[in-house]
Amino acid sequence: MNGMSINRLIGVMFLLFIIEGAIMPWIIPVDLAGRIVPHFTFVFVIYAALYSGRHHALLLGIGFGMLQDVVFFGHLMGVHAFVMGLIGYFTGLLLERKRSTLLTALSVIGLACLVNDTFVYFIYKAFRITNESYAWALLDHILPSLFLQLVFALICYVPARKLCESSWSRGSEKEEE
Amino acid sequence: MFGFILFIAVIGFSLSDRKELTMPEKFLGDSVGFAQSLFYKPAGIIAGFFEDIRNLRTIHEENEQLKLLAAAYARDKINYNFIEQENKRFKEELDFTERQEQLYNYKYRIAQVVAVNNDTSNRTMVINLGSKNGIKKNMAVTTVDGLIGLVSEVRPFTSTVMPITELDEKSPNSNLIAATILGKLDSFGIISSYNQETDRLMMTKIDEKDKMIVDDVVITSGLGNVYPRGLVIGTVENKQVGDFGLTYTASVKLAAKFDHLTEVFVVEVQDIEDAAE
Repeated sequence: MNGMSINRLIGVMFLLFIIEGAIMPWIIPVDLAGRIVPHFTFVFVIYAALYSGRHHALLLGIGFGMLQDVVFFGHLMGVHAFVMGLIGYFTGLLLERKRSTLLTALSVIGLACLVNDTFVYFIYKAFRITNESYAWALLDHILPSLFLQLVFALICYVPARKLCESSWSRGSEKEEE
Repeated sequence: MFGFILFIAVIGFSLSDRKELTMPEKFLGDSVGFAQSLFYKPAGIIAGFFEDIRNLRTIHEENEQLKLLAAAYARDKINYNFIEQENKRFKEELDFTERQEQLYNYKYRIAQVVAVNNDTSNRTMVINLGSKNGIKKNMAVTTVDGLIGLVSEVRPFTSTVMPITELDEKSPNSNLIAATILGKLDSFGIISSYNQETDRLMMTKIDEKDKMIVDDVVITSGLGNVYPRGLVIGTVENKQVGDFGLTYTASVKLAAKFDHLTEVFVVEVQDIEDAAE
């Protein structure tokens, strides 16, 4: 049963990954293209960390990060896999046992999105793939996209929590046995 | 700690100068690309429908303009046919070799964009043509407006396009563009990087005596053998003395729009094929 629900979670996240790449470019207005970017799978990784445990979050983060790195391979491979896995794991480490409320979940997701974009920016900066200053990147795309992520997180809070908790509770029972 | 080492190893591996993607990468990319292609086009059609409704008012004016353009085009076409024939005759008289004749014979292959990356420092796109359709690495990709980028990775059924907005002098693996001016083919400059903050391309190494002026149309010159010649890049916006005072730099406004892309053209150069065989 546990396997079933984690499969369902993976399926939903794969659908989100496709929506991110294929449908969101059409929904975002032309003037804001490149400034508002969706990170829906990442939001779900954080939900998994909060309500399903850090190991699930780590695996999902690495898996979907790697998927993005492979499908859209441009400069470096493994950046998103590393950052998403890392942030998912540490969020889980800090908060997985607490029953987070809507407000906590949203603030954690907002913070995690900031940290995620910042990490990705500095990795690119370290390899000299981007030359922009951090302040500019922050104002140009990190903060505007943060709002999109928060709105998305708010909309799918209830289904995401249900989905993640169904794979968590049985997992923890097993651990207790 | 182990994860960190693995991460560095994977990045190092991907930074190295690879000729081809590995098998799992190809498989994963193609299967996800197929799934994405199921969504991208319908979404585009629906979005396009609403845009059409919004544009209904301007359509009449646009139609007038297009009619004028079509008339101008028909006139130029007659001229072109004549010049082409003459050119052919000259080439025959001058004994051009087979290779020289085929050099500028480009094929345009139409491709659909399937997905766009959501990483602002790496705006790659996936298109639905791959090595099975004769696509090779480093082929140029354009729209009707102008140059978009280069094919950076090829899988059997899909490939990845690296847009010219990722150009960077300092980056280890980016291709600089040798450029010239439409109608002033002795002009020369190198499109070396893209400034995200101002949304302009930087053109450097322009000669002091160069005749290029503001609003000139910048095209690829075909020197350097990566980009085919004659593809529109953008227009010159301003020109100033470069870093050392010896050459000029210019900022170039892009001709192509990079959002809401659907159809793009992959430019197939005959010459590349010959060299590969």
